[in-house]
Amino acid sequence: MSNSIVKLLALDKLSNLFNMIKQNGGIRGSLYKLYRQEELKDGVLVGEDELGNKYYENPRYFYGRNRWVEYNDKAYLDYDGSQVTAEWYGWLHYKTDLPPHKDPSRPKYKWMAEFTENMSGTTGQYVPYSTTREKIEPWVPKQKSSA
Amino acid sequence: MLSSLRSGVKGLWRTSARSLQTTANLQHDSLFVHRDTPEDNPSIPFEFTPENQKRADALLEIYPEGHKRAAMIPLLDLAQRQNGGWLPISAMHKVAELLNLPRMRVYEVATFYTMFIRRPIGKYHIQVCTTTPCWLRGSDIVLNAIKEATGCEVGGNSPCGKFSISEVECLGACVNAPMIQVNDDYYEDLTVEDSKEIINKLKKDEKPKPGPRSGRYASEPLGGLTSLTEPPTGPGFGLQDSLK
Amino acid sequence: MLRQPLTRALALSPSRVAPLAARKFAAQADKVEVFIDDKPVYVPPGTTVLQAAAEIGVEIPRFCYHERLAVAGNCRMCLVEVEKSPKPVAACAMPVMKGMRVKTNSDLTRKAREGVMEFLLVNHPLDCPICDQGGECDLQDQSMAFGSDKSRFTDIHFSGKRAVEDKDVGPLIKTIMTRCIHCTRCIRFASEVAGVDDFGTTGRGTDMQVGTYVEKMFLSELSGNIIDLCPVGALTSKPYSFAARPWETRRIDSVDVLDPLGSNIVVATRTNEVLRILPRTNEEINEEWLSDKSRFACDGLKRQRLVTPMIADSRGNLTPVEWEEAIVAAATALRDCPPDKLLVVGGDLADAESLVALKDLANRLGSEAVCTEHYFPLDGAGTDLRSSYLLNTKIANVEDADFVLLIGTNVRFEAPLLNARIRKAFIHKETDVALIGPKVDLTYEYTHVGDSASIVKDLATGTSSHEVLKRLENSKRPVVILGADQLKTSEGPALLAYTQELALSLQDKLENKEWKVLNVLQRTASQVAAMDLGYKPGVGEMLQKGPKVVFMLGADAGVITRENLPKDCVVIYQGHHGDAGASIADIVLAGAAYTEKNGTYVNAEGRAQQTLPAVTPPGKAREDWKIIRALSEVVGARLPYDNLEEVRARLAEVCPSMVSYGDVQNNNYFAQARALAQSLQKPVSGTLDVQLKQLEDFFMTDSISRASPTMAKCVQAVIKQKQSPY
Repeated sequence: MSNSIVKLLALDKLSNLFNMIKQNGGIRGSLYKLYRQEELKDGVLVGEDELGNKYYENPRYFYGRNRWVEYNDKAYLDYDGSQVTAEWYGWLHYKTDLPPHKDPSRPKYKWMAEFTENMSGTTGQYVPYSTTREKIEPWVPKQKSSA
Repeated sequence: MLSSLRSGVKGLWRTSARSLQTTANLQHDSLFVHRDTPEDNPSIPFEFTPENQKRADALLEIYPEGHKRAAMIPLLDLAQRQNGGWLPISAMHKVAELLNLPRMRVYEVATFYTMFIRRPIGKYHIQVCTTTPCWLRGSDIVLNAIKEATGCEVGGNSPCGKFSISEVECLGACVNAPMIQVNDDYYEDLTVEDSKEIINKLKKDEKPKPGPRSGRYASEPLGGLTSLTEPPTGPGFGLQDSLK
Repeated sequence: MLRQPLTRALALSPSRVAPLAARKFAAQADKVEVFIDDKPVYVPPGTTVLQAAAEIGVEIPRFCYHERLAVAGNCRMCLVEVEKSPKPVAACAMPVMKGMRVKTNSDLTRKAREGVMEFLLVNHPLDCPICDQGGECDLQDQSMAFGSDKSRFTDIHFSGKRAVEDKDVGPLIKTIMTRCIHCTRCIRFASEVAGVDDFGTTGRGTDMQVGTYVEKMFLSELSGNIIDLCPVGALTSKPYSFAARPWETRRIDSVDVLDPLGSNIVVATRTNEVLRILPRTNEEINEEWLSDKSRFACDGLKRQRLVTPMIADSRGNLTPVEWEEAIVAAATALRDCPPDKLLVVGGDLADAESLVALKDLANRLGSEAVCTEHYFPLDGAGTDLRSSYLLNTKIANVEDADFVLLIGTNVRFEAPLLNARIRKAFIHKETDVALIGPKVDLTYEYTHVGDSASIVKDLATGTSSHEVLKRLENSKRPVVILGADQLKTSEGPALLAYTQELALSLQDKLENKEWKVLNVLQRTASQVAAMDLGYKPGVGEMLQKGPKVVFMLGADAGVITRENLPKDCVVIYQGHHGDAGASIADIVLAGAAYTEKNGTYVNAEGRAQQTLPAVTPPGKAREDWKIIRALSEVVGARLPYDNLEEVRARLAEVCPSMVSYGDVQNNNYFAQARALAQSLQKPVSGTLDVQLKQLEDFFMTDSISRASPTMAKCVQAVIKQKQSPY
């Protein structure tokens, strides 16, 4: 009964808003998050990956928006989808409901490479180079002594 | 041997059989390229002896100017005889020089004919005929006896260096089978004992008597004539009377 | 023996000896009628069935037969059915008989071919995918056309296919002898054309192999031709191995410039890279052969290239610059130079377009010092009469000569294909050869008259007691070939005068008034064009004046060095290779090599031919005449041509024969040249010497071949071979 009144008066939305602001570190924190992520959400922290990205879930949101990642603060505005590590990728994209730390069937071997983000478009990007010999070998003039 | 190894491996381990390479079987027991060896290389000089030089000159005389290359086979044979039964590469060079021909033309002839032997061989070159008539008459046991007596394998030289054995095709003495040829002499109608005796004599450098060992003079029937024993009948023999 | 004696095989067919339809001096015989597939054809007696079929365009498959080699008749691929003959006959060795009816497409013929093909394939490896001949293999083509569609070969697990060990025949030819089908073309080529009798067949039966028996490399100046001759992939090109497939390459018809004969070539390119050079048939010049230098030096086109203009900096080091800077620097040097202090030198590989442009530019600047590197006597008629510096007999006619006198030239290495012609005449027509000069190996026997220049004088004045004089006088078609290198000395004019006297007095006595006796063999591809255009041969005189600016157009012969130039002299080098010229230059302009431009070259006979661009010049390099044209604009002496047609129109103005491509004009004014030379007949005492004596001297003679790693390997191989006892 009281629930319906609350809903009728949209007071639940208001409480959600307070909740969100509270969870995101007060008004300052919320503004910062809004600036950085253009979105303010409340949810349950499901886990954190090796890069420090935090994964949240809130079933209140529509399917497809109910799991999200908040990138490590170190990344500041330079966050990118490819920073989601491989093990969290599946959970984030609904391939599985088990987050990696709760999934028993995720072996970790020594030989597995460390996760790296996609560096395309940055100075660290991979640039292919030709390994074939030049077709023409130019003449290199003999350098005279500096005297 | 390698090829059988390969087929064996192939049966067991299909994938890696490719990496095991074998050369094809040689169809012939001598090699048709020259390899320098201490015994046979171009820096060993070869000259005809004065006697043979005379023979060589005589051989060259036979052929008209412009066709002197026809003397190549006799000259190579002469060189082979002088050199103890085999033909070193320097001898081929010498013949090419005598005939004023490119050396390759001499190599071609020397490799074509099996009677030019291009590897060092023993003093006695024993050629055992193993073609069908001789084989039917027991050339295999003769060959084994000779192998045993000389200690030499077919195509090889004996440890003492005196003998070499070759298996050869028909030498044209089928009537006197089995037979062997030692250098230029034929020994025919052989038994195991005969062959052993021949080898033993050769070991002592005595010359066994060439020819048939069965007591025949040549290729006449062994037990006396079975036909042509009476004078030939005259014309009209066997005709019916009415035609006489 | 597989081979018939040469003389007999060749006596069989007169038309093979003289394949030229237009051969002027060959005898004609009565013709007989034969029927090929019921079509009548008239051929001279002695023609083979195969040739008669070729007359009416019926091609009979063959492996061993080659029209320029003796008939071997051992591959049996050319079996055809002849009516009334119990068995199929080998068309290549069967002379035609009157009324013969040949069926080249009957069931019997086809069955015979299929059978032969099956036997050939029994021992031929199935390695076409990794074989360099794939795509241009006669065996592939003919097994497609004439072979069976199925195989009966099941013996692979028992005795297998025949395998033969590979031979090491040098750095040019790769051998995979298992592929050999024993056609013996290489053997016949080596013994008949190349004159290096190193190949033969050893052994017999299934063990027969083609090879050298001993470990010996096949080193000849014509060795590369056996690659083309080999109908299968047994002999392939080592530098080109695994490089490309024939269908991937673009083929551009061009002309060779590495010797003075101007052999016709096909340049095979892919992705703007010259991959290989093949001969192109031209009966007048190279038949279908090509010398090894022309064929294999093409990898020199990729090394030591000038790809950008360069200017010497304050310390004298050449540094790459933009074209504008280089052209301005060159123009400044040219403009500041007093006209009489400007020296222009045309090099060995320069095309006629750039030569004429450069000469025009120099003349506009007021200079007449336009020279080539190699001297030619200017006394007497000098270079005014073409007859005194060309091969007047013409290359193809040399094989009809009955006596050849060589004076101071090693034809074998200076012009290998001319030597092949002389050898052909020597073998097939019993032409005799005499040589005045150092004793060298010409691959055929010759009378060595001596090496003193006075012999020429004695012969010319008729005072010689040598038998050669009598032979010359008695011969109906004598040829005298004088090496142009001999004319560089102070006795050059006299030697030329005596040679002219000798040749022309012989020519006057001939019945055949069309036959030319006098020949001068130039050493380089550009010399004739340069002299036609009015270049002065030799730089000696100009060097003594002490030039202030030297413009070298590909002058790499080493005639001009820093030592014989004044200290403050500015050297402008335009060319395509960093060689002798570029290393002494202050300004380098990057030009194009002969495969990269459309250039006119005039060969030693005076035949103008053009190269076509097969690839683009590397980097910033440009076509030579365009560079000179651009330079003229900046100097302020603008040349009046803007495109190739206009340059060629200018060429035609100077020398009309230079644009009639492929033709050669008959030379005249022999008598006038002789008369002008009369006064030069001074006593001579020197000895004649040639530059290229041995095979190792042959391979590296110009900037392209000096840059070629393959040619360097050849030189090493020859030196290595010399230490071998074989």
